[in-house]
Amino acid sequence: MKKARWRKGAAVLLAAVMVVGLAAGCSGGNGAVGENRDSDGNNSDSVSAGESLYPDSITYWVELDGDSAISMISFSENAAYKKLEEMTGTKVEFKHPTGVGNQIQEQFNLMVASRNLPDVIQTNWLTVPRGPQNAIDEGTIIRLNDLIDEYAPNFKKFLEAHPEVETMIKTDNGDIYAFPFLRLDDRIKVYYGPVVRQDWLDKLGLEQPTTIAEWENVLAAFRDRDPNGNGEKDEIPFLLEISAVRNELLNSLIGAWGILAKFYQKDGKVYYGEIQPEFEQFVRTMKRWYDEGLIDPDFAAVDGKLKDAKTSGNQLGLLYGYSSGTIGKFTDLMKDTVPGFKMAALPHPTLEKGETPIAGMISPTYPGEHSAAITTAAKEPEKIVRWLDLAYSEEGHMLFNFGIEGESYTIVDGKPKYTDLITNNPDKLTFKQAQARYMRSHYGGPFVQDVEAFLQQMKYPEQLESLEIWSQAKNELQLPLMTLTAEESSALASIMNDVNTYSEEMIVKFIMGVEPIEQFPEYVENLKRFGIEEAIAIQQAALNRYMNR
Amino acid sequence: MASYWHRLRRDLTANRTVYLMLLPVVVYYLIFHYGPMYGLQIAFKDFRPAEGFLGSPWVGFKHFESFFGSVYFERILVNTLMLSLYSLIFFFPAGIIFALLLNELRSRKLQRAVQTISYMPHFISLVVIVGMLFDFLARDGLVNIVLGWLGIEPIPFMRSPGWFRTIYIASEIWQNVGWSSIVYLAAISNVNPTLYDAARIDGAGRLKQMLHVTIPGILPTITIMLILFIGKFMSVGFEKIILMYNPVTYETADVIQTFVYRKGILEANFSYSAAVGLFNAVINFTLLVTANAVAKRLGETKLW
Amino acid sequence: MPARRSIGELLFDSANVLIMLVVSLATLYPLLYVLFASLSDPHEVVSNRGLMLYPKGFNLDAYAMVFRNPNILTAFGNTLFYVVFGTLLNIALTAMGAYALSRRKLMLKNAIMFMIVFTMFFEGGMVPLYLLMQKLQLLDTRLALIVPSAISAFNLIIMRTAFQGVPDSLEEAARIDGAGDWTILFRVVLPLSMPVVAVMLLFYGVSHWNSWFYASIFLQSRELYPLQIILREILIANDTNAMSVGVGTSDQMAVGETIKYATIIVATVPILFLYPFLQKYFVKGVMIGAIKE
Repeated sequence: MKKARWRKGAAVLLAAVMVVGLAAGCSGGNGAVGENRDSDGNNSDSVSAGESLYPDSITYWVELDGDSAISMISFSENAAYKKLEEMTGTKVEFKHPTGVGNQIQEQFNLMVASRNLPDVIQTNWLTVPRGPQNAIDEGTIIRLNDLIDEYAPNFKKFLEAHPEVETMIKTDNGDIYAFPFLRLDDRIKVYYGPVVRQDWLDKLGLEQPTTIAEWENVLAAFRDRDPNGNGEKDEIPFLLEISAVRNELLNSLIGAWGILAKFYQKDGKVYYGEIQPEFEQFVRTMKRWYDEGLIDPDFAAVDGKLKDAKTSGNQLGLLYGYSSGTIGKFTDLMKDTVPGFKMAALPHPTLEKGETPIAGMISPTYPGEHSAAITTAAKEPEKIVRWLDLAYSEEGHMLFNFGIEGESYTIVDGKPKYTDLITNNPDKLTFKQAQARYMRSHYGGPFVQDVEAFLQQMKYPEQLESLEIWSQAKNELQLPLMTLTAEESSALASIMNDVNTYSEEMIVKFIMGVEPIEQFPEYVENLKRFGIEEAIAIQQAALNRYMNR
Repeated sequence: MASYWHRLRRDLTANRTVYLMLLPVVVYYLIFHYGPMYGLQIAFKDFRPAEGFLGSPWVGFKHFESFFGSVYFERILVNTLMLSLYSLIFFFPAGIIFALLLNELRSRKLQRAVQTISYMPHFISLVVIVGMLFDFLARDGLVNIVLGWLGIEPIPFMRSPGWFRTIYIASEIWQNVGWSSIVYLAAISNVNPTLYDAARIDGAGRLKQMLHVTIPGILPTITIMLILFIGKFMSVGFEKIILMYNPVTYETADVIQTFVYRKGILEANFSYSAAVGLFNAVINFTLLVTANAVAKRLGETKLW
Repeated sequence: MPARRSIGELLFDSANVLIMLVVSLATLYPLLYVLFASLSDPHEVVSNRGLMLYPKGFNLDAYAMVFRNPNILTAFGNTLFYVVFGTLLNIALTAMGAYALSRRKLMLKNAIMFMIVFTMFFEGGMVPLYLLMQKLQLLDTRLALIVPSAISAFNLIIMRTAFQGVPDSLEEAARIDGAGDWTILFRVVLPLSMPVVAVMLLFYGVSHWNSWFYASIFLQSRELYPLQIILREILIANDTNAMSVGVGTSDQMAVGETIKYATIIVATVPILFLYPFLQKYFVKGVMIGAIKE
């Protein structure tokens, strides 16, 4: 009997402990993240003598990129941030979400929805659901204009010297919502375009093609004349990536027809590429290329890995790629295994000979990414503004772009030059991974990216040439990065979801012949039924507002 | 009514210990499952984080209308149901059959070895599984090479909507048949051995033993597993599909969950995904209740 | 005396063995591929994408890269913690619940069962759960990965079914001897259901081992992160690294491939060792026979 009662007591105890323990809160000793406090807003007490200009500590939410993750647990191990702590006395607690892409988006959404906010959030505020204006209105982040005026002398000076940037980083209401990541020099804005096996062209005695018709000839030659010399017709002339065609940053190939695949503008009027007649021309041409075996038959299902495999397998002749990520990487990889291997950039193709290419890839000065906003949970926003402002000072600029003088860079002939620590890292880290330990310019952050940081990555002359060649484009079609209202944002997202699903599917089907090309008008009709014209109207309204800023 | 409460009070005293055991379990469910349920209301609201759950405005059935009215509704519904159906017909019995066959192996050693090997794929991450699929089923992949020996033209498996369901189910079976047989094996080992002796004495061969002793012996487990399976009918595994599908195969591959992921979660449209989640849950639940009632009717085990 | 096997039986047995062998091979090969690839020279793996029957050019670079990650040992320890304590709590609560709900004459039994099954379908969603955890101050604590997932309704049902199969006669005999419910649970029901308990250990244990989603949502201090999160990050870091490397050695890119395989091995091999321990409980009739006699 006694035993049974003891058991009973245990059960009650267990249940009670569960309830009481949870209610009392058995924290593991680490304080829970960010209780939700509204920003004080009273900056009436000015900084008294002895009190620091900078916050004692801040919590900072930011993605931990791959190149950094490989050797650091968090940015607190990064030399630039360590130096910054020395300079300001501010201790930074970095909160890194885990995963990549969509997973980070989910964590961000959850964080915002549950008001569990850190002091600073670094992300792409242009693409957050419902946009940056909404983030301010909703009380997630704060409006920075007045704070910048008073507490950010470096950034303020910068904006006065670059008024066009000020327009870009504001919402239509004129609110500045984040400290931006900026690419000023034109040379760092272009890093993607057509890449060809130059050694194959040389071997077959071909000139670099500049028009679509010339492309066809070259591709046919690649198909038939066995440039990789193995006696088999296993060459893949061209890898078409529909997602890159439809990507408004990359604009792969489509520029030749004078349009972009999705939204673009001509003389202030917004159009949608896929319902324009030129787009049908494009699809018909692609279909012809597919039928003639000029396009990789697997093109619909190719991902990064497969693309790499086909390139390193010495089969791919023409593709769209990056100056570092394609030309640099594969030259490194293949120069020893494939004698004479040479990759070169092609100019963006046109329809007419001698025409200037109409559109290619170009990063906006303010791409939106890596920008730091201050949340409403921050207790001393003015101090945080001062802290963030440092990145735009001369010292901060060097710190975030080049790291520590004497360690990661030295000044040679008045210009900063990376040391061997970066270019030839003793621990066998790659260039970018080594950069990640000392600075942030390999990826991005709330500062201005220096062109030298980028140029020194270019190991091969073909890479430097590519920047030149790919910059040759009028690039007037691209829309600026506008901000939409919350309702517009939701409506557009909803429409584009259906449109994107449908277009991706149909374009591939047309090219492969699964869907007869004669049905193209019906495809256009369906896009209209999905509400594409309403989407155009939304973009038009946003563009008008942007022009009036 | 009075007599009910009297009986209840008597039951509570008589089975004091048992109810005590149940207490922490019930408390757990109340706190962690029923507690958050107040969040379900956002399916009928336009959730705004600033206003929280209570403050967000009511919109009635707007999200449901948007979902049902979507051009793709019919297609994703059909795809979801077809995949679940295929799974029910091919995948569900595979676990049982595998368990039964394993049980019949004469060599203990072989049985153990095969068992261990068979559940290993379960641990491999989906990313790798799908990567392997792409590899083996490529135009010039292993499978097409073998087909070539038989004189068959290479088939673009991963780009054919017609093949999607087959590949999905086949890889499900490959990955999980061993794992799903574990429960049945445990049930089989719970069957009273004397029943086998009795059957043998009556002259039953191994096949008859399987039919009259083993299968009836594990029927309760099978029934419960079946009921639970039906209860998950609308929730086809979306992580795998996201990895496998591409625009060409949308027409058979796009299911409710993948659609809602794009439309709801990535856009922080919690209300929309809550609404679709509710729809799914209601259907699943209805199916479950029906299956349970049918099981009760047939005199078999039931959930409640 | 074992009867002689008929021709039919012989055929069946041979066919069965054959099937099992084929199944084993089909299952094993891809796994061996992963193992071999993880141990191979990265360049070989990248250039030879065909059949692999043994590691090509033995090379431990991939594993070196994996273990070089500063987090990995802590994460390993964390996962062990979650697996051990998490599973203990799981089994304790599930067994108690399953026992209670398997009693024949319990008035509230069906109501509570229904209430539990209901939660299998209707969830409040991530945001309310998150807010609840915040209020209970469980965010960023180890308990966050143990408590919210304390009981799986699915497992509870399985266990209940097993407990229902324990003969009433045994229970009555124990009661006559003066045993209360706790004693019956520990001395009668559990021992007779060891296969199922083993299954539960496996299910819950593996679930804790593989879990990462709750950790990504509820935890922000890296010292508490479990293994799977770190492994995923290694995978991703090397994936994106392999795809967008700047001036780097070709070594780096190739290792990216084999790292994938190495992380899989590290992520799954430890848990594979759990099964042999539990296997003896699956052997037919051992426990039942013993208890009966």
